[in-house]
Amino acid sequence: MRPYTFTQSRSVSEAVADAGADTAFLAGGTTLVDLMKLDVMTPARVVDINRLPLHGITLDRDGLHIGALERMSDVATHRTVRQHYPMIAQALELSASAQLCNMASIGGNLLQRTRCGYFRDVTTACNKREPGSGCSALTGVNRSHAILGTSDACVATHPSDLAVALVALSAVVHLASARGTRTVPLDEFYALPGTTPHVENVLRPGELITGVSVPRSPWAGHSVYVKVRDRQSYEFALASAAVALELRGSTVAQARIAVGGVGTRPWRLTEVERALTGRPATPDTFESAVGGAADGARPLAHNAFKPALLRRTLVRALTVLQERR
Amino acid sequence: MTNSPVGREIDRVDGRLKVTGAAQYSADYPAPGTAYAHVVTSTIGRGTITRIDAGAALASPGVLRVYAAPDPRLKLYPVAPQFRGLVENYAPLQDTAVRFHGQVIAMVVAESVEQARDAAALVTATYDAQPPRTSLADEPRVPAGPTVSGSPSNLTILAPGVESIDAALAASDVVVEAEFHQPVQHHVAMEPHATLAVWDGDRVTVHAGAQIPPAYALLLSQRLGVLPQDIRLISKYVGGGFGARVVVWSDALVAAAAARELGRPVKLVLTREQMFTLVGHRPHLTQIVRLGASRDGVLNAVSHESDAEMPVVGGFNVTPAHATSDTLYRTPNLRVGPRQVILDLPGSRAMRAPNEAPGAFALETAMDELAVATGVDPVELRLRNYATVSPATGLPWSSKHLDECYRVGARRFGWSRRHATPRARVDGQWLFGVGMATAVYPATRHPASVRVRLLDDDTAVVSTATADLGTGGWTMVAIAGADALGIPLKRVTPEIGDSALPQGAPAVGSSATHSTVPLIVGAAREAIAALKQLAVTDPRSPWHGANAEDLRYEEGRLRAHGRSMSFGRLLTALGSRGVDATASGPGGAPAGYAYHSFGAHFCEVRVNRFTCETRVTRFTTVADVGRVINARAARSQLVGGVIFGIGYALLEENPLELDTGRLAGSTLADYLVPVNADIPDIDVHLLDRPDPLLIGPLGDDGGEVGTRSLGARGLGEIGNVGSAAAVGNAIFNATGIRVRDVPITLDKLL
Repeated sequence: MRPYTFTQSRSVSEAVADAGADTAFLAGGTTLVDLMKLDVMTPARVVDINRLPLHGITLDRDGLHIGALERMSDVATHRTVRQHYPMIAQALELSASAQLCNMASIGGNLLQRTRCGYFRDVTTACNKREPGSGCSALTGVNRSHAILGTSDACVATHPSDLAVALVALSAVVHLASARGTRTVPLDEFYALPGTTPHVENVLRPGELITGVSVPRSPWAGHSVYVKVRDRQSYEFALASAAVALELRGSTVAQARIAVGGVGTRPWRLTEVERALTGRPATPDTFESAVGGAADGARPLAHNAFKPALLRRTLVRALTVLQERR
Repeated sequence: MTNSPVGREIDRVDGRLKVTGAAQYSADYPAPGTAYAHVVTSTIGRGTITRIDAGAALASPGVLRVYAAPDPRLKLYPVAPQFRGLVENYAPLQDTAVRFHGQVIAMVVAESVEQARDAAALVTATYDAQPPRTSLADEPRVPAGPTVSGSPSNLTILAPGVESIDAALAASDVVVEAEFHQPVQHHVAMEPHATLAVWDGDRVTVHAGAQIPPAYALLLSQRLGVLPQDIRLISKYVGGGFGARVVVWSDALVAAAAARELGRPVKLVLTREQMFTLVGHRPHLTQIVRLGASRDGVLNAVSHESDAEMPVVGGFNVTPAHATSDTLYRTPNLRVGPRQVILDLPGSRAMRAPNEAPGAFALETAMDELAVATGVDPVELRLRNYATVSPATGLPWSSKHLDECYRVGARRFGWSRRHATPRARVDGQWLFGVGMATAVYPATRHPASVRVRLLDDDTAVVSTATADLGTGGWTMVAIAGADALGIPLKRVTPEIGDSALPQGAPAVGSSATHSTVPLIVGAAREAIAALKQLAVTDPRSPWHGANAEDLRYEEGRLRAHGRSMSFGRLLTALGSRGVDATASGPGGAPAGYAYHSFGAHFCEVRVNRFTCETRVTRFTTVADVGRVINARAARSQLVGGVIFGIGYALLEENPLELDTGRLAGSTLADYLVPVNADIPDIDVHLLDRPDPLLIGPLGDDGGEVGTRSLGARGLGEIGNVGSAAAVGNAIFNATGIRVRDVPITLDKLL
């Protein structure tokens, strides 16, 4: 760990006042401290934001509002979330161990860094960690890596389960900086790696996530998050699917779908949503609707199975919802 | 004695110390003036170090030393001839050669852990790199050396008139031929490898986790160039061995050498990442099993060949047919042929059931394939080929109840409800299947010594330099001592984990318990004899002048001539602090017999019919391990072995980068071991049939000394043998897909 200055802030304005590109905000610390010990993140300044008033889980006419400092476990167990947005609670519960969920914040969860082993090992080349150094994963061990949204510079997956569920539900994030506040749709918040994989989102230097809002919808209450992985717990997704359906009778009126574990960012599948809309909720519909889910995928040496796994994960999630109604 | 603890459910005697944090592991020991070390490892797979830049590290706060290869200040000696093959064959930080990716190339010593770690991150190295040899398939292969038990590893037995194993297979009605692959796996003990070295002149005390404390001290003394008696190794509590703490690794060598050079105690704790290359792994290997049988499944030929990685720095000689294909089934024609492939990889080491776990995965999967090919039930197939003498040696077994394991296991598990046809049982999203396999592990006794002291406070101390790896060794010593002396468990003080104690049995090869227990009985008898002698010779004794043969010892008391006294009261009356005696045994067992533990595994899995991940839902293991000393610890060992097998089958793999020699999954996030959610309730049943030939160097003692603890065989590793095959066979039954490459991950079932 490199030397750094450590301060605690009591207000958002104080926290963001002098924050810049060399500043890291500390909430739960479950990603930041880990990566600082590995020498992957070397901020000059660490600002503890845990005393900021960024709390609250509320439901109003517009939807669900979650403060950025709410802990994953508190959101996952919140009755309103479980009742009206079950896929959010499921995504959180499937994310991490109870200990991590008790510490990690919602804002931090959305900003967690990739689990690519080359990103986390400073002795290897990684464009995300060290721009221009190359991508070891392209020719290295890449079974867990992305097939969608990749570039020749980076094939790392985005690791958050929560973000997948929130993208499916058209959530927005609220941001604050010394220049003021703004709100950005989460689906536009994350950047594709392109030639600049170190730029992972639209956050400006020193900008802070203050909260998340999820709109009300007729489908959020009938939603599921399916996470597929080698180990039953304490592991990131090989593929995951956040699926919400509004069913009228046995017909799909509306569908909202995003997938994880396969993309360089949470991946919304609007084509699949459209292919489901207006169709009967049957296995045949599901199979045909997910046929193009992995279109454009660029599999690597060790993850050629992911397009098929992605389609099957979607069918599984759709089947769960169809059987549950 | 009616209240012997033998075979009962006994809590660990060290349990409270452990759950309260009072038990000191190696890194927990304090020493005044300790300096802290952190090692830097190589980032190429093979080559030469051209320069190490330690300038920034040396200028960092608190840094005392940066030792960079080659550093003559660290005096370390080459491996002595008698230890070659047991340990890595080079001396760390003594030359510029890089032998594998992740080798120690420098070490920072500082005033604090954090200062050492942070300065180590500033050390940079440049190399003259060469391509490492990493391909098991492409590099040259040579026949493997003898097995761990000293028997030839290459063996061919042919029936009269049969020209070759190939001819025997060709003449068989049904032939199964299958190739199996297993990647690099790791011990991943909970406790990181830690060393604290404290010098006092030419003598050194080392705190480090060791499975064989006396051998560890001896190996370390040779490498440091000190006399064996000038080194003391303390290893009281160990957070897991699994084979990774059998020998001295480079970390302990450089820590102890640095402490000598610096003139201060040095503590070095490896990071989890460093443990993946510095303290051994299970070598990756390929196995080819060929079975030839009649149409009703009776074996005519068994052939088991393998190519296993042998690291250039030395490592474990994998002979996967050892105790599996050369032991389990009756066959007139047998061929086993392990080979080695020299590769530029980190040193390997025996890992839990080092031959038998991979060997049984291959053999027992092939047997399941034979069951499918012949239509014979897998349990019935094994009974049809049941061996009553070892096929490799022709020797009968000292004790074998494997047939009972199959029958009891099948009943407990409900095997008769099995559908023989794959994919026959579907419940919602899940395909269900069941599978079984055989477990076997050799029973080998090692030389050891035990001292028993009877004290004037009516307690006894039982001392032997064996190790408790977290498995129950402390408790085993206490139980056997209490049984032998006929006194309550709480009046026995075990002493282990210290090389200064009488030479103890190695905690390797599932042998510590059955090597130690007979000697506890023997030492107890000698100590009682010494007590009686004192009683008849000391003028202050009420039995002064009597014949020692007239004195009877029972439940901690001497009785004769109408008087009775506890040994503590007698010793107190005599003004003696205590009497003691030591018993030593040469190891081994009566010749002319084969010694093995046996077992049968039954497993049920579910496989998701959409996404194909496998979850184990039920597991039953029935084992014939001789006498059970502690039912709770024994069950725990079996459960742990089964969990190892589930990990072997479904999860464990450290992917090797062929171009760099780097093991890419060297973190606990990437190297998956089972978590609680992966493990169902595991039903373990132990037959508890004492082995009549493993009773030790004992004569008739007239029944004074408890012998309920005799007749045990090893059980530390057997749960790990065959369990992976039971999982894989269940997956076949669920899906109809046979996967011979572990781990059996979902992508192989899609």
